[in-house]
Amino acid sequence: MENEKVLIKGNYAIAQAAVNAGCQCYFGYPITPQTEIGEYLSGKMQELGRGYVCAESELAAINMVMGAVSTGVKAMTSSSSCAVALMQEALSYAASDELPVVLVNVMRTGPGLGYIYPAQGDYNQSVYGGGNGDYKIIVLAPSTVQECIDYMYKAFYLAHKYRNPAILLADGLLGQMMEPATFGKYPYPEIDHSSWALSGAKGREARAIYSCAREEKKQIQHINNLFKKFEVIAKNETEWEEFMTEDADIILTAFGSMTRNIKAAMKVLRQKGIKVGCFRPITLSPFPYDRISELAKDGKDFIVVEMNMGQMFKDVKYAVNGKSQTSLVNRACGEWLSVEEIVSSVEKIMEKSYAASI
Amino acid sequence: MEKNFIIAGFGGQGVLLAGTVLANAFMLDDKNVTWYPCYGAEMRGGTVNCEIVVSDTEVSSVHKQDTDYALVLNQQSFDRFVERVKAGGTIVANSTLVAEAKPRNDINYVFAPMTKLANDLGTSKVTNIVSLGVLTSVCEIISKDAMKKGIDKVIGAKKKDLLPLNYKAYESGLNALSLV
Repeated sequence: MENEKVLIKGNYAIAQAAVNAGCQCYFGYPITPQTEIGEYLSGKMQELGRGYVCAESELAAINMVMGAVSTGVKAMTSSSSCAVALMQEALSYAASDELPVVLVNVMRTGPGLGYIYPAQGDYNQSVYGGGNGDYKIIVLAPSTVQECIDYMYKAFYLAHKYRNPAILLADGLLGQMMEPATFGKYPYPEIDHSSWALSGAKGREARAIYSCAREEKKQIQHINNLFKKFEVIAKNETEWEEFMTEDADIILTAFGSMTRNIKAAMKVLRQKGIKVGCFRPITLSPFPYDRISELAKDGKDFIVVEMNMGQMFKDVKYAVNGKSQTSLVNRACGEWLSVEEIVSSVEKIMEKSYAASI
Repeated sequence: MEKNFIIAGFGGQGVLLAGTVLANAFMLDDKNVTWYPCYGAEMRGGTVNCEIVVSDTEVSSVHKQDTDYALVLNQQSFDRFVERVKAGGTIVANSTLVAEAKPRNDINYVFAPMTKLANDLGTSKVTNIVSLGVLTSVCEIISKDAMKKGIDKVIGAKKKDLLPLNYKAYESGLNALSLV
């Protein structure tokens, strides 16, 4: 079973990967396009004698996760866009309380209720957060069903290693599609939480976890510590993928499942003699600013392709910092930009910049 | 080489299952494959469809605008997807429920009475598997052996007793065009 290739839906793959990662408790509330995660775990967790609660709301679900992980176990919730919006307050608390909350967001269309078709409109919500105060979340964006498994494992590991909330940011396309994948074993070491977890005070001093510091100095220190921790995360865990960037004049950039389309577009454009490469951030937070900056210094132009109004575009532009051109090819939601559309958009952008340069 | 297939029909005709069998067959044939269903409001009452993309290398996008092959089991699906077949592509239609019209000159048409052939075996429920047989007979990248293994894997997992009937349905589809 472990190494057998199976044809599996993204949502089921995420759920089974969570089981393999040792997730002890799942709390959730159904919403398309991720309902299969809860559906699968409702049976599986019971079978394994682990915890499953179909909560009364998303707000309750994420607070239950906070409670569970406070005891040092692995726990998670999953939801989609407009319902993840309800969880933002808790993410701010969890970041401040340094709790290893794991959240899966299978994105649909917003803003507001939006609709169930896929989109990538929660880049900002995930990376910058909708909660109050200064905090950072680890955000991982898979592009295939196999990566849904691999990065579900990693989300648990990083959340627990750094005691920081982590989001697996998928989309409706990934959640609903089936692809061949293998699970293997959970590849990361277990983290010992015995020094801080609320595991019962018998025989030791009582502990408390709370995010209220009445003394200003202590709060400043606390926030600085959180950000120092995230600097370490950025140094150790920033992850990206590059294809044919060495000789490229133009670098197509996308995250999540759109990566597939830019890779295919790159092949078509290369056949036409245009030197195109691909760059794909895997950790959206921490974002690979430094690498993009290096590539921009070499004079490589960036074209960001995404299914939103240009959210990651801003981070790429920030990293490029005027060293080269940065353009956006986007659609608000729905049908993913096709390979043909990306190719023709790139050609139009090239014509324009050629016209501007003479 | 990347090819895509759309399978479409009424809700209940088993198009998602047919797509799952086809996707499994490609996987068992060591190809890269992605299966993507329509999900949401269009499933309620209208047509159901799924898209299968198969590739020697990585599968690029799903949710494509056009398709190399369309396998359509009812008239509504024919009307909707005939426009989305690529020039030079093929539409394979269930002529028991689809009128044998050819609205475009630049694509290939394959008509076979899939529901009738299924009824000849005792139940219209195997129309979807008959349709896979017909598709196999006109599409060289689908391997018969892998399809049989795909049927084993998908149908054998839950309803082993229905395997012989489904094998027959598949054979009947394979031979459908030679009967004409």
